[in-house]
Amino acid sequence: MIPLQVDIASILLNGLQQGAIYALLGLGLTIILGTMEFLNLAHGALYLVGAYVGLLVFRETTLTNGLLYSFGVTTIGFDGGFLAALVVVPIVGFGIGLLMERFVAEPFYDRPETDQLLVTFGLALIVEEIIKNVIGGNTFQSIGPQTIFGFNVSQPVALPVVGLFPSWRLFIIVIALVIIAVTWLAIERTDFGLVVQAGTRDSEMVRLLGIKINRSYSLVFALGAALAAFAGLIGASIQTLSPQIGTDRALLPAFLTIVVGGAGSVRGAIAGGMLLGVIVSAMTQTYSQWAQIVLYLFVALMLIVRPEGLFGSGEVGE
Amino acid sequence: MSSDAPDSATDATDGGAAADATDDAAATESPDEAVGADEADRDADTATHAERATAAAAEGDHLLSVEDIDAYYAQSHILRNLSMHVEEGEVCALLGRNGAGKTTTLRSIAGAHPPEVRDGVVRYKNDDITDYSTEDVSSLGISLVPEERRVFPNLSVGENLHLSDVARNWSNVVGRTVSMDHPGMSTEEVYEVFPRLEERESQKAGTLSGGEQQMLAIARALKQDTDLLMLDEPYEGLAPQIIDTVEDAIARIAETGTTILLVEQNAVAAMNIADRAYVVDQGEIVFTGTSEELRTDEETREQYLGV
Repeated sequence: MIPLQVDIASILLNGLQQGAIYALLGLGLTIILGTMEFLNLAHGALYLVGAYVGLLVFRETTLTNGLLYSFGVTTIGFDGGFLAALVVVPIVGFGIGLLMERFVAEPFYDRPETDQLLVTFGLALIVEEIIKNVIGGNTFQSIGPQTIFGFNVSQPVALPVVGLFPSWRLFIIVIALVIIAVTWLAIERTDFGLVVQAGTRDSEMVRLLGIKINRSYSLVFALGAALAAFAGLIGASIQTLSPQIGTDRALLPAFLTIVVGGAGSVRGAIAGGMLLGVIVSAMTQTYSQWAQIVLYLFVALMLIVRPEGLFGSGEVGE
Repeated sequence: MSSDAPDSATDATDGGAAADATDDAAATESPDEAVGADEADRDADTATHAERATAAAAEGDHLLSVEDIDAYYAQSHILRNLSMHVEEGEVCALLGRNGAGKTTTLRSIAGAHPPEVRDGVVRYKNDDITDYSTEDVSSLGISLVPEERRVFPNLSVGENLHLSDVARNWSNVVGRTVSMDHPGMSTEEVYEVFPRLEERESQKAGTLSGGEQQMLAIARALKQDTDLLMLDEPYEGLAPQIIDTVEDAIARIAETGTTILLVEQNAVAAMNIADRAYVVDQGEIVFTGTSEELRTDEETREQYLGV
């Protein structure tokens, strides 16, 4: 048996990169669940939209099938570069979130959870099918840039202890952590966040104080959607895109993340995402064929040992 | 709305305030025309006129008036044709047994749902606020301290209090500028009323004792621009010495001129500080009078309050 080379530093750094994406996804899902007690199965579709909008903004893409192709459109996209995508994708996600809250979520706030699940799952299928039919079901190459902010990110950099590490992934870690920190501050340190936290426990009391919490709801939903779309862009910069990625790479990891972290908990989503990222990274670098199995086993174990999650209060959706 | 117009007309003549209202009405309606019209026409034409008169009268008389409201929880008819009013600057008690409709009355005034108010009018400072949202009622200066305190357990005492500042700041943002007779206290002033809260400032509200939570719930309301403070069973579940503290605080609030509508099952405690009382039973007002009158009315006390 060949002794296994375990490189802890590399596992942690890769785990951090994967975990940052999980955390972004979990964060978006958990603030919507925690605030509105609304389970959004279309969260993966928002990731998908983020990835495809990123693709359109980032480069020109050649089509080989789909509705547009049948109308004679052979290339789509604006060739705007990654920075443009970095700006446009969260804005589009935010806008879609506002619309979704108003027209899909809000009518279902007082309905049973099963209805919420059905309507959002249906929406996810619709989004996936539209993308598949209009742009085509092809798998597209990832959209990682060569340079950003004047830095060449196509080559690995030499890091102390870790050794060579892809500089683009390093960039992803930095920007994802910045976005996570900003979101955390918005929830924990602003008046808006205070209203959201209060509303999580007793939204009528917030209204009785004279605060129009419905506006905060729209904002929370839009924020969660923007985070998912942003995660989609980041994900698409390191992995290929196809219409199926919404569920596998976003919806399921997002749910696993909040199960581990605790439903409705912001710090739980961050910690849970990072923890799962490191587990996946460790398994991928050692027994990669076991990675998925170990991931689900871990979450199952978590559900048995600590069903409320790392930071959960066990109160959401009671 | 249309159903209460005749009542308003009667009130207007009784109140003798029609003259005041004419000035208001002159801008939109020719006074000559109104005077020259015959009786029957006037009744119909001057509905708004009469309403304004009532409003003008109410300005002098009632800060809040609840007029013939019928409120429902789903299909259950909870309040039946209930009328009451609260005068500026008084402490008014609404008493009655558990389930009599006290909380429903407060929630109807506050615009909370449920209940659903299907008939009748709630008027506050001349305005028909029956269909106002909870948020809008609150920003008019009506604060409800609900049953069971309902402080936010996951926030610190300071954060709970800060939410009242947020409410004020945000309502300014959307351009609502209501002039308040009793602007909200600062956090420092609130801490003077309840020194205990200052000691607990950074503690999570969920870890406070019942009495402290009640203080926090009242303090939160005091920080709002409150002209009418509605307290729903503030003594419930509190130890006797804590009741004294809360009672002192309520008395001090009343001294500042803030109008208080106090809902209680504990009639004796409520009558200590109330000027006037209503007794409600099965959704109907069965007694109206001063606290003194209620004290001497043994029949009402025994039948409806059990004291």
